[in-house]
Amino acid sequence: MSNSKQAELASAQVFSMLLGAVGLTVLPHAWNLSWDIFLGFFVLWSWRCIGVWRPRYLPSKALLFAVTLLSLGFLYSQHQGVFGRDAGTRIFVIALGLKLLEIKTIRDVQLTVNFAFIIAATLFLYQQSLLMAAYIIVVCLSLLMTLNAIHSKITDVMLLARCVGVMLLQALPVCIALFVLFPRLEAPRWAFLNERTLTKSGLSDTLEPGSITDLGLSDELVFRVKFTGSRPPPDELYWRGPVFSHTDGKHWTPSLSNKARRHPDDLRFAGNSYNYTLLLEPQSKPWVFALDMPASLAPNLVMNADYQLITTVNPEQRAEYALRSYPHYNTGVLPPIEAQENLALPQTISPEIKNLVGELAGFTQPPAVFIQAVLRYFREQPFYYTLSPPLMVEHPIDTFLFQTRTGFCSHYATAFVYLLRVAKIPARVVSGYQGGKLNAIGEFLEIRQADAHAWAEVWLAGQGWVRFDPTAAVAPERIQQGVNIDMQLASGTVNFSLFDAAAQHGVLAQWYQTLRQGWQNVDYSWQRWVINYNTANQASFLQGLGMQDMATALRWLLISIALCTFSIFVFLMRRPVRVPDRALRHYQRFLRQLARHNLVCATGETASAFAQRVGEQLPACRAEVEQITQLYLQCRYGKQVEVAQLQTLAKLAAGFKLKA
Amino acid sequence: MSGLGKFWRELQAHPRLSRFFLGEAPSKTAIHLNHRRIFIVPTRQGFGFLLLIVVLLLIGFVYNNNLTYLLAFLLIGLVIVTILHTFRSLSGLLLTLGSAKPVFVGERANLPLYIENPSQVKRYHLEVSLEEQVFVGVEAMSVQQVNVYSTTLQRGWHQCGTIRLTSRFPLGLFRAWSLLRFACPVLVYPKPAVSGLAFPEQASGEGQQGQARRGGVEDFYGLLEYRAGDAIKHIHWKSYAKAQGLFTKHYSHFQASALTLDYAYTPGYGVEERVSQLCRWVMDAEACGRPYSLSLPGLTLPPGCGERHYASCLQALALF
Repeated sequence: MSNSKQAELASAQVFSMLLGAVGLTVLPHAWNLSWDIFLGFFVLWSWRCIGVWRPRYLPSKALLFAVTLLSLGFLYSQHQGVFGRDAGTRIFVIALGLKLLEIKTIRDVQLTVNFAFIIAATLFLYQQSLLMAAYIIVVCLSLLMTLNAIHSKITDVMLLARCVGVMLLQALPVCIALFVLFPRLEAPRWAFLNERTLTKSGLSDTLEPGSITDLGLSDELVFRVKFTGSRPPPDELYWRGPVFSHTDGKHWTPSLSNKARRHPDDLRFAGNSYNYTLLLEPQSKPWVFALDMPASLAPNLVMNADYQLITTVNPEQRAEYALRSYPHYNTGVLPPIEAQENLALPQTISPEIKNLVGELAGFTQPPAVFIQAVLRYFREQPFYYTLSPPLMVEHPIDTFLFQTRTGFCSHYATAFVYLLRVAKIPARVVSGYQGGKLNAIGEFLEIRQADAHAWAEVWLAGQGWVRFDPTAAVAPERIQQGVNIDMQLASGTVNFSLFDAAAQHGVLAQWYQTLRQGWQNVDYSWQRWVINYNTANQASFLQGLGMQDMATALRWLLISIALCTFSIFVFLMRRPVRVPDRALRHYQRFLRQLARHNLVCATGETASAFAQRVGEQLPACRAEVEQITQLYLQCRYGKQVEVAQLQTLAKLAAGFKLKA
Repeated sequence: MSGLGKFWRELQAHPRLSRFFLGEAPSKTAIHLNHRRIFIVPTRQGFGFLLLIVVLLLIGFVYNNNLTYLLAFLLIGLVIVTILHTFRSLSGLLLTLGSAKPVFVGERANLPLYIENPSQVKRYHLEVSLEEQVFVGVEAMSVQQVNVYSTTLQRGWHQCGTIRLTSRFPLGLFRAWSLLRFACPVLVYPKPAVSGLAFPEQASGEGQQGQARRGGVEDFYGLLEYRAGDAIKHIHWKSYAKAQGLFTKHYSHFQASALTLDYAYTPGYGVEERVSQLCRWVMDAEACGRPYSLSLPGLTLPPGCGERHYASCLQALALF
């Protein structure tokens, strides 16, 4: 029975809708695919478009076969294999282009629509922003409109869009229920599917302050932090990254032994704590930047011997960690190997440095006094903070301390540590991020690449490792206020946000700022609640709802789907109120208006008799009352009722006011 | 093989399942489509769509990609909504089969099917199929007539079989259908024999007289007031146009030369051939306006002429 139906040829309208929808689907891949694949697809697509109006230009079977072979050869020549995101997308896109050329029947159209849905899904493998999701909704709408056009024979595009739009809206409750409750299983990481992503700019695992003349800053987001409870003051916002213990005088690298050592267990905390969730953007290195000093570890995290958090899962995926940190802590004793590492200096120490340490009483006074003396030295001598320091190739520490005296955080931190080591005090450089910008709407901190920072840690007897930030001595605003990234990026110079940007630029800038923060807040929620809703998040969220295990969640899933379906069914099958009932409703409204003035229709009194009585008592309203009654009787009991009559009745009854 | 066929027939006739295969018992009145009468199954395209959802879920799983999951869930929701919409595209319709004009065996009966849509929702692209498919849309609050055709094979009362009303609206993922059987038989006249055999004038005494007169000019006998059953082509339209009333022209030989068509004197082998021959004579006699009587075993129709007489003769032949 259905053979004749399924061989039905697609009409030109269906074709143009399909081609439009498919074009929309593939378009964003311009950013993801190599240009030749993208171009190849759109050549095939255009060929098909021409074919809608000029069918004789479509390829014959032989030509199509040749084109297919050519495409296969082309794909093979790119040596990308068949597995993985890029290769898969490439194959699907070209296959879709070839399929377009041979579409004839309705069945082909339906197959192509399914194909296009898979292409739409591959778009999500490249970008998961809110905008992309909105775009995919449009793509879905256009693909489904094509299907609907086949099976409804509607030609009006707006009507089709409405029809499908309503259906998508009705599908939304089930979709949300499934999203929340459908069990998320952690997929094993397939080696062949892993893609090499672009190396992200970020913290490096070596530090070489002398070789940098211009610190490239970007406003690229690194992570976002939301505190539950109180937020620490700005001068406690040190996000710990790699620690540099080893130096040859120019390069600073992490301790050679920290991989071998376990972190000591005698880390003790004191005072208040901060609880927060950290949403880390994709990284190239497995470093998790926790607030100094992290106490409770989220799963998938380990702490190395330098108290730095390392993730055990793929850092190239966005991840969320619930953490707790204490600003006050004591790291306890220093193992001998660590003491040795953090005192080590290159063979030759210049006499100027020795002199300086001697001047600052480094060899005579206790460490605490010497440290204060060094900080005072930085503060009182003409040291300047800049992001574009001169190049210091040979003996960078000497050059910085005695000649240029300009630099950024890494210069100060390395020089500080160097001086302390000369004075036989264990010290090391810590890199990470400092500060962060508060999003007032979402109340979370955003930490960007430009917030990268380096500071020093000194081991003091009885206190353990203690943080000192020599940059704060030179430029305390850097620590107190943070960096004004917008200004810095615009002018290329350091600008601490002493004044609110809005105060300088007036109302418009303020609006812009609010709008931007609002959008960033939406984006944060999107990342946190949608993109990053994984196994762990789901478990904790469901536990918050009182669902302890997956079986309960599944039961609730079925219940909610049934409920949604039933409500939509009731909504779809509702009977419209019939015209006579609607007329009665309007008339009753009119009666209520009269009843306020003690004019009540007596039992048994007909509508016309009542109207006459009202007319006699209130001659001013007679015409209106009679008109309403007339219309009511017509609509309620008449045989042929026009919609206009009912509308007039509704308008009159609603606008009826007694005139004395 | 025959065992399987037998099983299949038994399955179809099973009291609980027959509704699914054959539809409800034939209805004399309008059929109201409700959940008892509407069946719904996924189409091939629907199964393809389910496969698509599985593929999307797999992509979401392998790449840990929540948005791909979300797309799959949206399509799952859409599938559920589509079931309801497909059901609604048939639900609530009122179907009536109009009476069809009698046809001769071998002709196709033209049955007018009235689809009434008493709801506010337009029904798009319904497929009505009996022997062939017709597509039709029904506006909200309106009635749409569709003509379905049924080939007749036997004289007598012809039941037109099961009409299937199908909808794949809105996305073609599901097919909702309803099987409609109406107790609305069509009268099927016998197949007329090939013309060529002369009227059976010799069958009665009056026949001779009629034969003698036949060669002569048909004499105008006079105008008589119209009586029901008179042939339309003998109506005297001129007097009717002058508003003098309805008169029929009568010819002198009419009274005399009434044909007697008797089953007993009809040549032919077997019942069907004789009935066919009688049918042909009735048609010919009606065509040239000669009165005729018909006698079948157990039934005799008096001589007469005109639409009504013609119809009752043919009916008698059809049901004999």
